[in-house]
Amino acid sequence: MAEAKISPHSLNDLKNTTDDALANYLRGLQFRQDNTKLDVRLAIGYASVVIAAVTFTADYKLGWEATKGWTAVAVVAYALLNGAFTYWTWGVEKGCVFDGVKEGRKISVASKTNKHEPTYYLTVTDSGSAASARQIQAPFTTWFTADGYFVAKPFQQWLASSVEAIGAADVKNASRAETEEATAPGPEEIETVAQSTGSAQASGTESKSKSSKRSKRKG
Amino acid sequence: MFGSLASLQPRQLAAQVLNFALVLSTAFMLWKGLSVFADSSSPIVVVLSGSMEPAFQRGDLLFLWNRGQETQVGEVVVYNVRGKDIPIVHRVIQRFGGGSTPLQLLTKGDNNAADDTELYARGQSYLDRSQDVIGSVVGYVPFVGYVTILLSEYPWLKTAMLVFMALTVVLQRE
Repeated sequence: MAEAKISPHSLNDLKNTTDDALANYLRGLQFRQDNTKLDVRLAIGYASVVIAAVTFTADYKLGWEATKGWTAVAVVAYALLNGAFTYWTWGVEKGCVFDGVKEGRKISVASKTNKHEPTYYLTVTDSGSAASARQIQAPFTTWFTADGYFVAKPFQQWLASSVEAIGAADVKNASRAETEEATAPGPEEIETVAQSTGSAQASGTESKSKSSKRSKRKG
Repeated sequence: MFGSLASLQPRQLAAQVLNFALVLSTAFMLWKGLSVFADSSSPIVVVLSGSMEPAFQRGDLLFLWNRGQETQVGEVVVYNVRGKDIPIVHRVIQRFGGGSTPLQLLTKGDNNAADDTELYARGQSYLDRSQDVIGSVVGYVPFVGYVTILLSEYPWLKTAMLVFMALTVVLQRE
């Protein structure tokens, strides 16, 4: 993954980079991504854009008087489609980052952040274990350096150890995090990974100065 | 700057482009919706000259309503000269017909010495309410329309604004 630098002060950038990394990671683990939600959103959106484009062309070619009636119809249709679009984005997609399937296990991940709070909240729905959604969270500092570089390892370890389906697919990351976690509480409904990543960094791939910077922040 | 776009999956790129397309099409459809509501081809116009001073100044934004067919003397109307696409904002000073016969109007700018007979098309002495008039003025906002005047006098501004908007919307991921 390209190590592009982002601003560690922009919650938007942090969330988007993490969302992209999560999707890439899961695709790398051979989860087949289900794009239905995004496809429906694109379909509704582009349908309304097409209606607007046709209305524009008709008005440009034929003038106002001739197209008045059809324009009225088009405006109503556009309003309805936009309403459906908004409903789909807010009500159905609701922060969905990844929907996928692997060997029959369905996984659905939605992410969220709160204003002025550098924490990444995930809601994971797993078809295998408990049917209800699990909420997990971790501060962004777990996988971002102080100057804004994303580090994949701690992120993958957090995911693999917190989510059963991912842990089953990526045993290496799941077990490594668990052995280092000897003193930390076991996986619960809400779990932060601050302690475990401090020790996991000793064998991390980044430079020493970066990891010492991170353990300083661990206080 | 474009690096963030390069790392996107094709569907995500389509979603970003859709955001910009929706901004444009929503603006356009809002305009058309207002047109349908006011029954006017151009429900909002900008005053381009000083012929209606002191009532309206150059750069004022005018709101039009075209559903009142019984235009009275003293109302301010916006009309297009037959054959030209320039909207003119003047006051009605005489009316003929109305009821069963088609309504005809004579207009004059408050700040002009003569009535509009010179401005009408050759051979035309009066305006036809149903054909030439785009609507009567029902409200206005001062100065705001100056942006439109600038955009039409410096067309490159339009392109610059559009490009700026496109970049801002497509590159931003919320």
